[in-house]
Amino acid sequence: MLWVDKYRPKTLDKVIVHQDVAQNLRKLVSEGDCPHFLFYGPSGSGKKTLIMALLRQIFGPSADKVKVENKIWKVDAGTRTIDVELTTLSSTHHVELNPSDAGFQDRYVVQEIIKEMAKNRPIDTKGKKGFKVLVLNEVDKLSREAQHSLRRTMEKYSASCRLILCSNSSSKVTEAVRSRCLNVRINAPMEEEIVSVLEFIAIKEGLQFPQGFAARIVEKSNRNLRRAVLTFESCRVQQYPFTNNQTIPPMDWEQYVSEIASDIMKEQSPKRLFEVRGKLYELLTNCIPPEIILKRLLFELLKKLDSELKHEVSNWAAHYEHRMRLGQKAIFHLEAFVAKFMSIYKSFLISTFG
Amino acid sequence: MKKVKRNVAILISSSDDDEDFSVKSNFTHTKSKAKSVMTSVPRKNPKRAKTALLSASCPRPSKKGSVFDEMKRFCEEFDDDFTGIKVSAGLQSNNDMWIDKHKPHNLEELAVQKKKVEEVKTWFEERLEAAMDGLSNVLLVAGPSGVGKTATIHAIASNLGVKIWEWTTPTPTVWPEHLHNSNSGLKYMSKLDEFEAFVERVRKYGLTSPTLKGSQASVILLVDDLPVVNVRAAYGRIQRCLTLLVQLVRIPTAIVITNYDKDDSADFSTRCWEELLLSLHSAGACKVNFNPVTVNSIKKTLTAISRKEQREVGADSIDLIAKASGGDIRQAINSLQYLCLKPHRRPILSSKERLDNASCLDDVFCLPFGKDENLSLFHALGKFLHNKRESEHTIASDRDTFLLKEKFVRFPLKMDAPEVILCQAHGQATTLSDFLHENVLDFLSEDAIDDAWLVASYLSDANFLLSSLSGHLSRDFGAQNIIQSAAASVAARGVLFGNAHPVPSRWHAIRRPKLWEVEQSSRRNKRQMFNQRDDLPNSLTTYSQIVMATEFRPSLKWLGCRASESFQADDMVEEDSDSTCLHENKLDLSDDEIEDW
Repeated sequence: MLWVDKYRPKTLDKVIVHQDVAQNLRKLVSEGDCPHFLFYGPSGSGKKTLIMALLRQIFGPSADKVKVENKIWKVDAGTRTIDVELTTLSSTHHVELNPSDAGFQDRYVVQEIIKEMAKNRPIDTKGKKGFKVLVLNEVDKLSREAQHSLRRTMEKYSASCRLILCSNSSSKVTEAVRSRCLNVRINAPMEEEIVSVLEFIAIKEGLQFPQGFAARIVEKSNRNLRRAVLTFESCRVQQYPFTNNQTIPPMDWEQYVSEIASDIMKEQSPKRLFEVRGKLYELLTNCIPPEIILKRLLFELLKKLDSELKHEVSNWAAHYEHRMRLGQKAIFHLEAFVAKFMSIYKSFLISTFG
Repeated sequence: MKKVKRNVAILISSSDDDEDFSVKSNFTHTKSKAKSVMTSVPRKNPKRAKTALLSASCPRPSKKGSVFDEMKRFCEEFDDDFTGIKVSAGLQSNNDMWIDKHKPHNLEELAVQKKKVEEVKTWFEERLEAAMDGLSNVLLVAGPSGVGKTATIHAIASNLGVKIWEWTTPTPTVWPEHLHNSNSGLKYMSKLDEFEAFVERVRKYGLTSPTLKGSQASVILLVDDLPVVNVRAAYGRIQRCLTLLVQLVRIPTAIVITNYDKDDSADFSTRCWEELLLSLHSAGACKVNFNPVTVNSIKKTLTAISRKEQREVGADSIDLIAKASGGDIRQAINSLQYLCLKPHRRPILSSKERLDNASCLDDVFCLPFGKDENLSLFHALGKFLHNKRESEHTIASDRDTFLLKEKFVRFPLKMDAPEVILCQAHGQATTLSDFLHENVLDFLSEDAIDDAWLVASYLSDANFLLSSLSGHLSRDFGAQNIIQSAAASVAARGVLFGNAHPVPSRWHAIRRPKLWEVEQSSRRNKRQMFNQRDDLPNSLTTYSQIVMATEFRPSLKWLGCRASESFQADDMVEEDSDSTCLHENKLDLSDDEIEDW
């Protein structure tokens, strides 16, 4: 089992980061009050962990007994039936799923599953009807239609079903959905907090690390707790006992992007652009989302860039990121950005150095 | 009863074809006189065309009086022209069409290459003399339309004195008829069903029809009109049934297969027919390929016909017709007949001048006959990518009423408007932009990175236009069409405009977009990733795809894939097979290269 899963705090009491949020959640639930939730915050900040712990707080240990199911939903869409295949994770009390995996059919999935859940709701020990919880991940990636249908179903079935939504950015969740939920913002953990988590894991695993080693991992992790733990484990596999000059294994794709960036800085020509395209293809083949590639590429380029160009380059990056969201084929827009950067940079070089 | 009905059916279909052509040629001829009317002329039979036109103009006759008049004039002219050709409703063989009247009856009259004719003839002779064991009794005759495939077989049959028994497509069932039939309990049979039944019958019982009296040996079977298939399943059915026919039939059989648009190799159905040919060939069928008829033999035939009809047709008109027909002799004869209808109205010599004077937009139409040129996608791509331009402004001085900034000025193109080329190549906008994107960088000069950006930005625009298709417009086909062509135009023109400093032309192979492979393998990887996610041991939650791709997979690589050893093995196998098939595809397409011209 990966350390990320192994040392994931199971209950609200045991969380190390975001203790204040955990306290509030516990208070809320112990008063028998369970609204719809919307957890939002950057990736790797502990949203999922809190959600799982919250479920356990509500339903007790039986919420931990989950089974993974790959289910095919038959959805009746007016004139025809659509088969949507989706992986769900469920216990007796909750169902978790990533509706955005279903692509543009996401709205059917959301409606259908909620309906189904509402149909067979569990009866708790006291004989009164309880409610089930539906955990929806990546709500920000749901299409607008799906979010609208979510809103309606939320109201209709609120007696039998609670929703816990989880997303990276609340701005991509529609206002209507947001106002029906209790919004919980989960910040990215502070660096010291991450260090303390790593220390906690080290103690449990019986590992020792030199002074400043954890801080280096944290620095690389970009305040992403999950990433820090994963990196930590990779370091363990790579070399133990840890030394201070040990290289922290980077994520391969990030290294690749920085290679691309230095390629771009070295030469600006159609030929080089073609080579860069090949490398971008490589990244896309490995399912790295294009937005993340663009963001990372910009980050790497800005590091090496003269400050007077930074503004213009960022502007174009934003332009093409927008294009990418509107368009279908990310490579067209990524490449246009690279070409634009090359063009800007080259004219800058010519004007500065002649 | 049924037999009779069938006969009728053939006649209708064949005369339809001919009418179709005549209407078209008429249409193109009048084009030069009444341009505005032309756009709405449906290419159907003349009567229908007329009524359609009239009714279309009826609602606003006062407002568009001139147009109405023009239409009327056009229709009258239309009728005039057609008095020569009596449009019989297909009750009898229509000898007014020269194409039927001057059908070749013996081998000498055939315009087909002598060698091919000989080849087919010897084949038939061999098969007719003795039933050959072990050898298939099927001959595949393939070639473009109008090169005399069927005519050759008919001529040979009459030469050898054998009867032809022909598969004729039964009358199509129209919807009301179907409703009527379904009430009476008759089941609907598709053309494919009936064809299958026919083949089955022939295979099992031979030709035991009572209408055929002669001995078995003097009959050949001709399958001219294969049912149209569009779906892979239907295609599989027809392939199976033809393969059986090839293997088992006992009478000499000729199957005529027309290769439509050879250049459009991306088209599914074309590929299907090619595959079909190959598979039948490997099943033992003999194959003869007919080439387009040479200009000289078309000329010879045309001269012979005009002499027989006692019409004076200039040698240069015949020359023009023969050249414009593109090796299609049926087309050529029809053109000749059309030309002879109103010789006085048709100053054929001036058409050459008109060709020169015509504005660039409709010079495709100025010949009153002949096939419109089709360009293959690769041809069009080559035009866009090579970006041939005049070396100086020839007409700039008088035409340019407004001055452009230096950086926006380009030399005039040495080709038709990009939209015309796009029309001829009938390429999909998506395919086109993918291909352009893949290949355009090769054609930019060494250090023109600004140009590269310009091109890239236009391609990005095109992609943006195309993607709005998938949204709410998906049901509005009109809008979809417009956006499609707009996107294609943006992509093509963007490439032409952006490439301001084209390299001196040299030979380039046009590559297939790598993007397709990338998309495919990324989809595969995604699936694999989902499996991996589901296999993550004991995880209490599901991770989103982004997290999987950017964090887990790299880390798992470091961790030695502990979690995923088990299914890596079977994925490897799958990947292997996939990669080989990709490789084959690549081989396929690498033939599609263009040369510099």
